[in-house]
Amino acid sequence: MSLFGNRKQAVPQAETLGDDAIVVSKLRKTFGDFVAVDSIDLTVKRGEIFGFLGPNGSGKTTTIRMLCGVIEPSGGTATVMGYDICKDPEKVRCNIGYMSQKFSLFQDLTVDENLRFYSGLYGLTAEKYAERRAYILKMADLEGRETELTKNLSVGWKQRLALGCATLHEPKLIFLDEPTSGVDPTARRQFWELLYDLANDGVALFVTTHYMDEATHCNRLAFIYRGDIIAAGTPQEVKAGLAKDTILRLDVDDGEGALAALQGNSAVAEAYMQGASLQVNIGHLSADEADLPAVLGSAGFLVHGVERVEPTLEDAFVHLVTEQGGRA
Amino acid sequence: MSWRRIRLLIWKEFIEISRDRAMLPILIILPIIQLLLFGYVVGSSVKNINLEVLDQDHTVQSRLVTEAFTSSGYFRVAARPTSEKAMENDIDGNNAGAALIIPKGFGQLVGQRRPSQLSIIVDGSDSQTGQLASAYGAQIVQSVSSEFYGAGPIAPGSTPAVGINARTRVLFNPTLRAVNTMVPALLAFIILMSATNLMSQAIVKERERGTLEQLFVTPIGRTDYLVGKIAPYFLLGTMQVVVVFIVGVLWFQVPFSGSFLVIGVGLLLFMLCSLGVGMLLSLLSRTRQQAQQTSVFLQMPQMMLSGFMFPLAALPTWLYALTFVIPLRYIIVIVRSNFLKGSSFNSLWPQFTALAALSLVIFVFALSRFQKRLAD
Repeated sequence: MSLFGNRKQAVPQAETLGDDAIVVSKLRKTFGDFVAVDSIDLTVKRGEIFGFLGPNGSGKTTTIRMLCGVIEPSGGTATVMGYDICKDPEKVRCNIGYMSQKFSLFQDLTVDENLRFYSGLYGLTAEKYAERRAYILKMADLEGRETELTKNLSVGWKQRLALGCATLHEPKLIFLDEPTSGVDPTARRQFWELLYDLANDGVALFVTTHYMDEATHCNRLAFIYRGDIIAAGTPQEVKAGLAKDTILRLDVDDGEGALAALQGNSAVAEAYMQGASLQVNIGHLSADEADLPAVLGSAGFLVHGVERVEPTLEDAFVHLVTEQGGRA
Repeated sequence: MSWRRIRLLIWKEFIEISRDRAMLPILIILPIIQLLLFGYVVGSSVKNINLEVLDQDHTVQSRLVTEAFTSSGYFRVAARPTSEKAMENDIDGNNAGAALIIPKGFGQLVGQRRPSQLSIIVDGSDSQTGQLASAYGAQIVQSVSSEFYGAGPIAPGSTPAVGINARTRVLFNPTLRAVNTMVPALLAFIILMSATNLMSQAIVKERERGTLEQLFVTPIGRTDYLVGKIAPYFLLGTMQVVVVFIVGVLWFQVPFSGSFLVIGVGLLLFMLCSLGVGMLLSLLSRTRQQAQQTSVFLQMPQMMLSGFMFPLAALPTWLYALTFVIPLRYIIVIVRSNFLKGSSFNSLWPQFTALAALSLVIFVFALSRFQKRLAD
C-alpha cells in the first residue's frame, strides 16, 4: 500500500546521468568533545534522489549544513556541484537549493513578496523572474493567492511555496531536510510527485526523512547513526543485508506485554512493535525452531497467528541500530 | 558585500515590521508615552553635590563658610579653582553641580559687622540637583549669617537687614524647568528603549521561524545580513530621536543651545551601543519572549543608575561605582550639557571616550557572538 502507487517507474535511473553532484570524503565535524559526524564518505549523482536517513541527533542536519557551506567541517573534504565547500562556500550556495522542515518562508510576507525576495537574492533578471514566478505559482497551485500572507496558507501550500523559493534559481541540486514532516498524506504524495518531476529534469535531490515509504522511493540511501554511515546502497541492497534472517509477525492481544516477555530470549535477535502487531527477527532459526507461540504461551500470552514476512527497510534499520547498540 | 542584497533585506525587514503587531506599539506609542511621562518629572533628595569653592578672601570667616557647606552633608568640595574662568570650565565639564564664590574683603566686612555678600552658582542643566543646591545653599548661608552677626544688637547705622546677602545665580536653565532636563535625556532614553528592544527581536525571530537557517544557505554573506538587519532599526531609532527633538523644542519649548554635531556624534555612538546590546540579546535568547523580557529587565537599572531620573550624587559609593559601565550615564550628560549649555567636545571628552569604548566593546562582542552562533 504505497502512497506513491505506480509512479515508481518515473524515478530516473541515475547511471544514465553521469557526473557527481556531491562527493564527500572523510567528512568530520566535532563540537568540543562531541563527534557529530565521524569521517563519512558518500557520493550523490546528478539527477538522483538520495535518501539520507537516521534518528534525530545522528548527524543528518550537521552534514547538510556542512554541505551547504554554512558551517566548516573539522576534517575531510567535500565537493558540491563541483565546488569545494571549504574554499568556495559562496559558489556552493549559489548553486544549490535548500528547503527545511520549517518551510522557512517569511510568514509576514505575501506569496509574491517571498518570491520577489528570493529572486532578488539570486539576482534573477526581470524576464527570468516573471517566467519562474509563473511556473512556480502554477506548480504550487498558488495562482490567485499571490497577495495572501504566507502565514495564512495551509501547510501543504507553504511546503510547495518553500520548494518553489528553493528552486527559483533553478539549482541542479536541492537539499530537503525532512520536507514532509507534519504534512498530511495527500500533500506528501503531491509533494513527492513534484520531486520526481525535478529528478526527471536532472536535478539531484538530497532528502532526509523519517518516513520509510518515502525512503523506499529514493534511488539510493545512506543510513547515518551516531555520526557514522552504517549502511548505504539502493533500498534493495540495504534490505538484502537482512535477507538471510527470518522475520515473523505475531498476532498477539497484548503486544507490549509480549514484547517485554521476549526480552532476553536467546532465540530472539530483535523484537519491536510494528503497528498493532509484534515483529520478531529470529535470525537464522526457522519459525518452528524458535516456536514463539509456545514461549509466549508459557508466559501467559495467547498467540493468534504467526506469519513470515519479507524484511522491510524499517526492519533493516532496526536491525542495523540494534547491531550498533550491541557493539557500543 | 552586495548592496543589492542589503537593499532587499532592508525592504523585507520594513515590510515585516509594518505587519508585526508586537513591534508597532514600541515604534509609535512608546515615544509618545515617554514624552508625556518624562516631560514632567518629580524631584528627589540629593546629597554630596560637587561644590567648587572659589575663595578670594582667605580669612577665618571664609573658611568657616566653606566648612558650613561641607559639614551640612549636602555638598562636597570637588575643587578649589583659582579663577572664575577655571570654575566655569569645571561646571561646563560637569565636574561640579554648584560653585561658591567668596569675594575678597568678605572677612573684613563680617569683622566690621557690615553687610557682606556671597555668590552661589548652580548648574541648572540638571534641574533637580540645581534646585536643591540653590535651596540648600541659601539655607546654609542663612545659618552662617546668624552665627556671624548674631541675633544681638546691630551695629549703629546699619539697616536691620544686615548680614550675608547670598546671591544665587542659576546658569543655563534659569527657570529650572524639569522638562528642560528631561527632553534632552529622552533623546538618549528613547534609543535605549526602542533600539535595544526592537533589535533584540530581530535575529531571534528569524531563528525561531527558521528563516535565519534558510538565509545562510543562500548567497547572502554574513556582512550583508548584519548590515541589512541593523540598518532598518538604525533608521527607525533615528526617526524617533528626531520626533522627540521636534516635539521637545516646539511643544515643550526646550531651548536648544547645543550643536547638532556634538549631539549627533554622541547619539550615534549610543545608538551603536544600544543596537549592539539588542543584537547580543537576540543572539543569546532562545525565544522572542525571552529577548523581550531581558531587554525590559535591563532597562530599569539603567534608568536608575544613569542620572536620567535620579541624580547620581544621591547614590551610595558601591552603587555609584556600577554606574561607570552604564552607557546611558555618559550619553545623558552629553545630551543635557550640549543641549542646554552648548558644551563642546573639549569639555565632554571623558564622556565621549567612555561611550565610544563601551560601544566598541559591546559591538565587537556582539559580532563575535554572531559568528559563533552561526558556527554551531
